[in-house]
Amino acid sequence: MRRIAVVGGSIAAVTAASWLRVRGFEGTVTLLSAETEQPYTRVPLSKTVLSGEATDASTALPPLDDSVDVRLGTRAVSLNTRARRIVIDNGEPVPYDGLVIATGGRARRLSPPGMAGEKVLRTLADCAALREDLARAHSVLVIGAGLLGMEIASTCRTLGLQVTVVDRDPPLRRVLGPVLAQVITDAAREHGVVLRTVPGGVRLVGSRTLEGVDADGDFLTADVIVSAVGDVPAVDWLTGSGLRLDRGVVTDSRGRVANDIVAAGDAAVVRGVGRRPHWTNAVEQARVAADALLGEDVAGVALPSYFWTNQFGVEVKVAGEPAGLGEPDMVDVDGSSMLLRWSAGAAATVNHTVPVRKLRQLASAT
Amino acid sequence: MTVSIELIPGRCEGHAVCEAIAPEVFRVDDDGMVQLVPDSDHDDATALAAVRSCPVAALRATS
Ligand SMILES: Cc1cc2nc3c(=O)[nH]c(=O)nc-3n(C[C@H](O)[C@H](O)[C@H](O)COP(=O)(O)OP(=O)(O)OC[C@H]3O[C@@H](n4cnc5c(N)ncnc54)[C@H](O)[C@@H]3O)c2cc1C
Ligand code: SF4
Repeated sequence: MRRIAVVGGSIAAVTAASWLRVRGFEGTVTLLSAETEQPYTRVPLSKTVLSGEATDASTALPPLDDSVDVRLGTRAVSLNTRARRIVIDNGEPVPYDGLVIATGGRARRLSPPGMAGEKVLRTLADCAALREDLARAHSVLVIGAGLLGMEIASTCRTLGLQVTVVDRDPPLRRVLGPVLAQVITDAAREHGVVLRTVPGGVRLVGSRTLEGVDADGDFLTADVIVSAVGDVPAVDWLTGSGLRLDRGVVTDSRGRVANDIVAAGDAAVVRGVGRRPHWTNAVEQARVAADALLGEDVAGVALPSYFWTNQFGVEVKVAGEPAGLGEPDMVDVDGSSMLLRWSAGAAATVNHTVPVRKLRQLASAT
Repeated sequence: MTVSIELIPGRCEGHAVCEAIAPEVFRVDDDGMVQLVPDSDHDDATALAAVRSCPVAALRATS
């Protein structure tokens, strides 16, 4: 293998490119990124960068070294696996011997094409635009009470806006399970957020511009309407490639998709496990996938997954996936801090400092 | 080693992504903050991969 192409411009792509060099790959590594910015982290975009506390520049990831050819503003539009060739948006073919698919996801939108007014938050540009809108606003309506929607709500409260969050499910329940979700829901209410659950889902109101939503007969609106209703894996460019797509590109436990093709991060769906659209997962999958591409016989990640959220003064760290596990088997409360453990394989802290390594070990100990 | 690593003050949130990649360079202690292992004997490429993996861009490498 002489030439490896990495398609994507964020953490999964950067880690894969770095890891190929760690493993001593000496051929050409070309990174194709649709974004015009150097790779950056999205994690602070709903938090300190949206509030203005941190600058856009502070999100830049440390640069790849010169041995990686980074091509910004370059979108892959199709893939021919037989000819081992990617075609990019200007029509140019990019040949490869090995391919890493790391195209992540883009924000899902509710409004039909052509309707203005629905804001989303996925990229630095989205963040800058939303921040500007919020600076002129008194109120915001957030559609979607998952991690992202609730973080946006929290940041908007620190900016002094009136905040309403609407979702068909109770806040955060699907991703955190009932106990952790309740802790944050209580904190959100204490911080003055209006939370609305509309089991049937909301209906958008507006024609050319989104004016608000119909929530079970109530019309909800605000100066700014932002939706945080999940992301869509960015795998459209793989349509027609023959690779298996199922809400993302399907991989085995080591990121392998097909001969000499691997995938990692938000674009990947691991067979039997699913999608884990979190930062740590993108890093770990990218390493395993790079190893697999080079034919290294390294086992997949053994530790439970890890993610976190900070909102309304509550810092939550989660190892494993407690959402489907119901009530925890152990809860240690000390003032406003908690340590929770599910013997089926998860652990979490709330405002409680435990090294993440230990938290993940605690989650895996049975 | 030729690269040296710095922490950008006030950014680390203790997510230990760096430590998972290069435990010989980074250590997240009981206070939940990263510490650089003094005089670590490390591979530069691995240390750089770890520096780039921080979700809050708290690490910097200089050569
Ligand atoms: C606002 C926000 C806050 C978040 N906060 C947290 C958090 O606190 N904790 C946590 O664990 N996770 C968080 N996440 C999730 C985390 O950021 C993602 O899991 C992570 O970014 C996934 O990385 P990725 O490289 O797989 O994909 P992405 O970050 O989606 O990057 C994909 C890259 O591929 C490029 N691309 C797409 N299509 C093409 C193409 N056809 N050709 C070339 N390039 C292409 C894109 O431009 C982009 O650069 C947050 C996400 C957002 C949006
Ligand atoms: S430096 Fe970054 S990756 Fe390392 S522990 Fe701190 S926040 Fe986590």
